[in-house]
Amino acid sequence: MKFLLGVIGCVCVCLSSCMEQVVNGQILDEVPLLFPDYADVTVPASIAPLNFTVDGEFSKIDVVVTGERGQEIHVQHAREIRFPLKAWQRMLEENAGGALQVSVSVKSDGSWKRYALFSIYVSEYPLDYGLVYRRVVPGYEVYGKMGIYERNLSDFKERPLVENTLIHGCVNCHSFPMGDPSRMSFHIRGEHGGTVLTSGGKAEIYHTKTDQTLASCVYPYWHPSGNYIAYSVNETQQTFHSAQHKRVEVVDWDSDVVVYQVETNELISCPQLKSGSVLETFPAFSPDGGTLYFCSAERKQIPAEYDQIRYSLCSVGFDPVTGSFSQEVDTLVSARELNKSVSFPRPSYDGKYLMYTLLDYGNFSIWHPESDLWLMDLETGETRPLDEVNSNNVDSYHSWSSNSRWFVFSSRRIDGLYTRPYLASIDEQGKISKPFLLPQEYTDYYGNSFYSFNIPEFVTGPVQLDPREVEYKALGKERKPFAYRP
Amino acid sequence: MERNTLYKESGLTLLLGGCIFLFFALFYPYHLPYQEQFQLFLFTSDYLAETVAKPGGMSEYLGRFITQFFYYPWIGAVLVALLLSLLQRVMAGLCKAFGDPSVYLPLSCIPSLFYWILLCDENMMLSGVVALLLVTVAALFYFSLRPVGVRGLYGFIMIPALYGFAGGTFLVFIGLVIAWELLVKKETGNKWVGLVAAFLLLGVWLPVFTKIWLVQYPLSKLWVGGDFYRFRRILPSVIPLLWATVVIIPVLFRYLPSRKRKRSWVRGIGQVVVLFGITGYLLSANADFRKEEVMKYDYYARHRQWHRIIACADKKTPDAPLSVACLNLALAKEGLLGEKMFSYFQNGPEGLMPTFFIDFTVPMTTSEVYYHLGFINSSKRLVFEAMESIPDYQQSARAVKRLAEGNLIIGEYAVAAKYLKILQQTFVYRKWATATLEVLGDDASIEAHPEWGPLRKYRIRQDFLFSEKEKDMMLGILLQQDLTNRMAHEYLLAYTLLTKNLQSFQPYFSLGSQIDYVTIPKAYQEALLYIWGLTNTDPARSIPYPVSNVVKSRMEAYRNIYTSYPNPEPILKGQFADTYWYYYHFRK
Repeated sequence: MKFLLGVIGCVCVCLSSCMEQVVNGQILDEVPLLFPDYADVTVPASIAPLNFTVDGEFSKIDVVVTGERGQEIHVQHAREIRFPLKAWQRMLEENAGGALQVSVSVKSDGSWKRYALFSIYVSEYPLDYGLVYRRVVPGYEVYGKMGIYERNLSDFKERPLVENTLIHGCVNCHSFPMGDPSRMSFHIRGEHGGTVLTSGGKAEIYHTKTDQTLASCVYPYWHPSGNYIAYSVNETQQTFHSAQHKRVEVVDWDSDVVVYQVETNELISCPQLKSGSVLETFPAFSPDGGTLYFCSAERKQIPAEYDQIRYSLCSVGFDPVTGSFSQEVDTLVSARELNKSVSFPRPSYDGKYLMYTLLDYGNFSIWHPESDLWLMDLETGETRPLDEVNSNNVDSYHSWSSNSRWFVFSSRRIDGLYTRPYLASIDEQGKISKPFLLPQEYTDYYGNSFYSFNIPEFVTGPVQLDPREVEYKALGKERKPFAYRP
Repeated sequence: MERNTLYKESGLTLLLGGCIFLFFALFYPYHLPYQEQFQLFLFTSDYLAETVAKPGGMSEYLGRFITQFFYYPWIGAVLVALLLSLLQRVMAGLCKAFGDPSVYLPLSCIPSLFYWILLCDENMMLSGVVALLLVTVAALFYFSLRPVGVRGLYGFIMIPALYGFAGGTFLVFIGLVIAWELLVKKETGNKWVGLVAAFLLLGVWLPVFTKIWLVQYPLSKLWVGGDFYRFRRILPSVIPLLWATVVIIPVLFRYLPSRKRKRSWVRGIGQVVVLFGITGYLLSANADFRKEEVMKYDYYARHRQWHRIIACADKKTPDAPLSVACLNLALAKEGLLGEKMFSYFQNGPEGLMPTFFIDFTVPMTTSEVYYHLGFINSSKRLVFEAMESIPDYQQSARAVKRLAEGNLIIGEYAVAAKYLKILQQTFVYRKWATATLEVLGDDASIEAHPEWGPLRKYRIRQDFLFSEKEKDMMLGILLQQDLTNRMAHEYLLAYTLLTKNLQSFQPYFSLGSQIDYVTIPKAYQEALLYIWGLTNTDPARSIPYPVSNVVKSRMEAYRNIYTSYPNPEPILKGQFADTYWYYYHFRK
């Protein structure tokens, strides 16, 4: 339907006006203020067109993009710039490893102004097929329509994987082993609740709460072998701030980390991950599968001391052959030393880095405006804030592309409330590029949308999931129970 | 058409439309803006695309388009009357296509009368009426086609199109055309068999096809198509019944005697009287005037018409918690809460600051209380929760407007701008949003604004975690921030009085020393005198507060009755129902 409207719109535009020549333009020294800000960003050659508009009043906008290795696109529009898909793809392919020069002119009050040129750098590192995210409003306790969606990064096609119009309830915490679209874990909450695991397009639904665990499984992370999934189990409470700038506080009363062995259908754990006096959460396996990272905090009085809970970044050895853990727990980032709290540890798949979110306290970073991304060099142990990508608002949930040259993260930098996915690259030397907002066909998409984009995860191909099978199994009463191996 | 018949038919339609208009304009007006607040109709291609991309989507879109004008109750009443009158006209056309017993034409009013009754349910959506209109007009056009091949082609195009436009209502189209083919057209040979079978097959497969290829909905939902009822998972059985009447009534015309008899006009009038009489009875049984009253209070609170709320309460004291909450808010806004709150029915703290629960109506009204007190974050939370609780997943224009205001007051300009730009794409709120966008970021203008300025001044600045069980603590913090905040003081004292927390009343009362009460409000005088009397033998003489002689003498009279009768409640209710003492002793 949207496509049809677009076609009708294009036809009308074509009929009503031809491309006007930019003449006698005033030359400005400054680069235009774009939305989204794509000036001097680095993008993969496969990215969808970076359609944008310019801040301010104008009657026409004219853009010429010139590739340093050839190709040119010239687009003119009354409101925003939308590049033709095929021409854009050809241009980026031809200029991979090079740069595009962008000339923007706007017509206002009958005369043209030409801004200073800016560049778009085309990386030679390929990007995965798509992103999978959950679209949900940034609400408090209640949610309306929501779902898990797959977005093709080469164009603007978005496909619903599972929506709550199909199964009344909430769908969350989708996860893939290193972006493998044939295997997936996600949860359904509500009256048809369960955890869905897929393999090769076949789905099975599980009951993950056992007598030996606190609650149902929550935050997942796949082992690189695909034979284990680490989950946290959390007893969580939400409360609400009264003063400005903060809205929601999500606090764990208690939490542990467990590991699910897919082949044997068993949960395993160890005292190091299930301490009564410590809160453990956000597990993540190292890419070699031999280490399990997690966040750990001393328990405090809730709710009185909710703002005193600070999580350290820890790790424990894991033997995937026996499914056993080492006795020693290493603290990689100490909450006590930093007086900060760590969440979402995510090692890059090449084993060089570990990215995490740092916030003042607690673990639910998306509601903490001070949340920033940090990067640890796993070879040197050096850790630093990612100033290249951080903003003065929430910068949080992140994941790596399968080749570890790109990462995507959630940011609330646009308006402080709605979470948007940003992508950035990191090269072999660890140099990080300016992040760019996931492009959309229409530049008012984000402005008009009531949804946040949560848990952006790369996938290397279209996700193999049959929503009708999920519906059938979710609406059925049968749930395969997780066993617990003491 | 004979002029006489034309007059009769027009008269029938006018009578129907006039009755519907008068009902919604005079007796049921607040149900209309109630509907409007739970949608956000945007003039954007995204909104159109998203709405129509499911079975019944176009009727939903058109229904919402019309519903946006329900913001103005009288215009809403006109539109409902027009739609239902139009439905009657189309029904009359369908009936004539089956036969011509014009004396029975009042029967063509039945679906409109039926929908009139249904629309008394605030969750019945206008999209259902639009869907019925779409399919009946399409059927009427079908009847005008002569060659069977053209009809077949038209049917094959229209069945999927109508499924897309009108959802499950497309079954009405199939029913009408099959009935017409079988009863009226009676094509020779087996042509009709093929046509009917093909239409049925198409009708059966469309929802299945849609399920497999197009949208993620349960199959049962796809059979119904369209959100004709706000609770998407429910299809009231009356809707399929209504659909059936749209098919059955024209079919009846095939069998009703068409021969003109003497005094047929008597028979016609008789039908009108019976039909409208039954409708009147069913309206009185189905219309919920208690809800209408709550909606009226909420409407006035939404539009800051505090005097009207108090005037309504003076006519008839409200007893529903939400109405009482609106009344108390109006009294506080007018500085009368302490003076007059017990002149009206009070149902405890729930009538002051209702407890949150997951729902799309109550939090919307409750958010007004929090907003006007200065609990801006809590107000935003409640409207957000209300909006997300709307069962058919729509956004709420009222909520988005409140979110914009709330964010503007606390200086969250970026997200306020987002909401305002969205509201600029509406018809009703465009002007307000544009004007508000102009002052966004201009702190001086916001602080000089008659509503936003005081709210920015009084808003909660000291952060704490919201607690339903500690509202007095929250009100205390609000007051402590600015001891001249009269509304906070009145709410704090009202909460204390309504929870019968006499121990806290006196210290909380003292917090209002910087508020320029001309005299101590009546309810506080009554409470102070009562509390003083608990520990002093002659409270009227010894009380250190300036309590009026009227209150003192009434207290004496109250005490005499209270202590003299074994069951004093009925007597005290007659004379002292407007006092705190009566509330304290007899209201649970």
